[in-house]
Amino acid sequence: MKLSKESVLGLIAIATILLMSLIAPGFLSSNNINNLMFQLPEFGLIALGMMVVIITGGIDLSITYIAALSGVGAALMLVNGYPIFLAILVAVIFGLACGAFNGFIVSKIGVSPILVTIGTWVLFEGIILAITKGQSISGFSETYSLIGNGYYMGLFPLSMLIFAFFVLVTGVLLNKTGWGRNVYMYGSNDVATLFSGVRNNRVVMKVYLYAGLLAAISAIIMTSRYNSVKVDLGSSYLLQSVAASVLGGTKIEGGYGKVMGTVYAVIIFLTLSNGLNLLGVHRAIVDVFIGVILISVLTLNFFSDKIKQKKETTKASKVA
Amino acid sequence: MKKFAKTLMSGVFAASLLAGCVSGNGGSSSGGEAEGGNQAEGGADNGELSIAVVPKLVGIPYFNASEKGANQAGEDLGVDVQYTGPTQADAAAQVKVVEDLISKNVDVIAIAPNDPASVDPVLKKAKDQGINVIDWDTPANKDLVEYSVKQIDDDVFGRHMAQKLVEAMGTEEGEIAILTGGLSAANLNLWIEAAQKEFDENYPGIKIVTEKIPTEEKQQVAYQKTLDLMKSYPNLKGILAVSTPAPLGAAQAVQEKGMQDKISVVGSALPTDSLPFLEDGSLDTAVLWDPGKLGALTVAVGKMIAEGEEITDGMEVEGVGQISVLEDGKSIIMGPPADFTKENAADFDF
Repeated sequence: MKLSKESVLGLIAIATILLMSLIAPGFLSSNNINNLMFQLPEFGLIALGMMVVIITGGIDLSITYIAALSGVGAALMLVNGYPIFLAILVAVIFGLACGAFNGFIVSKIGVSPILVTIGTWVLFEGIILAITKGQSISGFSETYSLIGNGYYMGLFPLSMLIFAFFVLVTGVLLNKTGWGRNVYMYGSNDVATLFSGVRNNRVVMKVYLYAGLLAAISAIIMTSRYNSVKVDLGSSYLLQSVAASVLGGTKIEGGYGKVMGTVYAVIIFLTLSNGLNLLGVHRAIVDVFIGVILISVLTLNFFSDKIKQKKETTKASKVA
Repeated sequence: MKKFAKTLMSGVFAASLLAGCVSGNGGSSSGGEAEGGNQAEGGADNGELSIAVVPKLVGIPYFNASEKGANQAGEDLGVDVQYTGPTQADAAAQVKVVEDLISKNVDVIAIAPNDPASVDPVLKKAKDQGINVIDWDTPANKDLVEYSVKQIDDDVFGRHMAQKLVEAMGTEEGEIAILTGGLSAANLNLWIEAAQKEFDENYPGIKIVTEKIPTEEKQQVAYQKTLDLMKSYPNLKGILAVSTPAPLGAAQAVQEKGMQDKISVVGSALPTDSLPFLEDGSLDTAVLWDPGKLGALTVAVGKMIAEGEEITDGMEVEGVGQISVLEDGKSIIMGPPADFTKENAADFDF
């Protein structure tokens, strides 16, 4: 039986959950399980967006600020009395606009993604500061808070369903559509992709648009869950989302990455941080711990890839 | 591939065993406590109280000092103190910490919210689970907390700074200027208003030469503005600087121009930052409060609430001193501000 990288990660996720339920008091309490279910979607969506960008060999460091800006858009609509539907629409439009801006500079002008998105990170942060003056916008309606805090049919967190929906959509888009195939091709070798007749800049544009969309959806869940938005909303997810993508097996140089890998990685991160919190481990140690795990998995991945490559070359030379 | 999987699995298991080690000593105690917590649903008297103190973030001098105070108070009072917060001042990360604390079934949560509105839902949830909620350092939503632990009374603090400035100037007459962190910071404005009242009522000879000057919470800006001030008002005798970077910037300008004896600077600043300026007199007095005591008081208040003890105006709290309770019956004031001068500033570690 051959296990894919992702299935191994899934097993690790299960092992982490089992371990935590054994050693962390109250981990399996219904209250805590609920906590985890509500914490997962906002982080998971941002991590998925980041993954799609990383598959192209890029990175989107402005993603949490896109989320914050979309959140500000929604918040402004809500506090001025517009219906929830319009607020959500505005958040999505803000997200898409930010994504389009990133996508335009990366694909049309050709500046490297890390530079572009560091620039837009500061830019979006500045725009939010100009709008909010550093204050938070808060006080949304009860109905709006149901998006992030409510249960569907009184059982399943609504935000979790939204997340599951986007996991499915991302999976289908990446694996079953021409665009998805092009995304992987572009990530492996952009020149070859261009010469095989793919319009690279359209592919890349859509990647950043999609990341913007996911950031906006995450923003809607966050603003609804916290009933407030501020310039640094979700900023702690920025590097965590990069970490979750690469822990999930996404190649940082592009060309490979699976939705389920990222989902498992997000589950592992949340389980660890929640479990260690329950154990009363100091926050800084929790960070150290997650860092160590990340580095060990990446090192293991690197060596396993190398071994695989070696095997293939020896096989190839034998055949020849 | 299979081999790889095996290595990975064993690696993870080794790592997770390690995790068990890291938390071993903490784990055993909190394990017992959680059992106690579950039983505590029936009767809260068995098992020690657990009080969670959540700062805006961990790992900065101010909140490290309050952690020390809180842990010390926990030992003295025989309660289990869990001082835990996000590593970044991000509202989302802070909410997560509180959610985990709710799962842990602590008895009291004391929070210094990064964004007061964003903790509303989670504090409501904590309350619904029968957890006592208070805030400290920075107020949360008044309707959700049982008590609000405040470091100082804004009015007293402002007036105290004004008095200190007059004292440092050595005269009750002369021109002064006021620097502030930002024009819209509510607490700074309250302090300045109080200081102005003090000048108006008790020191009519003091003339404030211009409107309060904003410094963007930056030492560099405060420095520039002070240089400009000294140029425009050559008779300036005193500067009152509120917000923690402002006094440092003002003192830096005074130091550079060698005006230590002509211009007195008083403001709200941390002692370690102010020490170099206090030493040569470019900053006369830094006024603030002791964050360690604030942490201790928070724990003490948490214990009293959980045990149903009443908190009254003027009561004595061990290690903190006399506290006062404001008319709303909710705001607890730690006490008078602390002065940091050339003589004592080196004794503090925040």
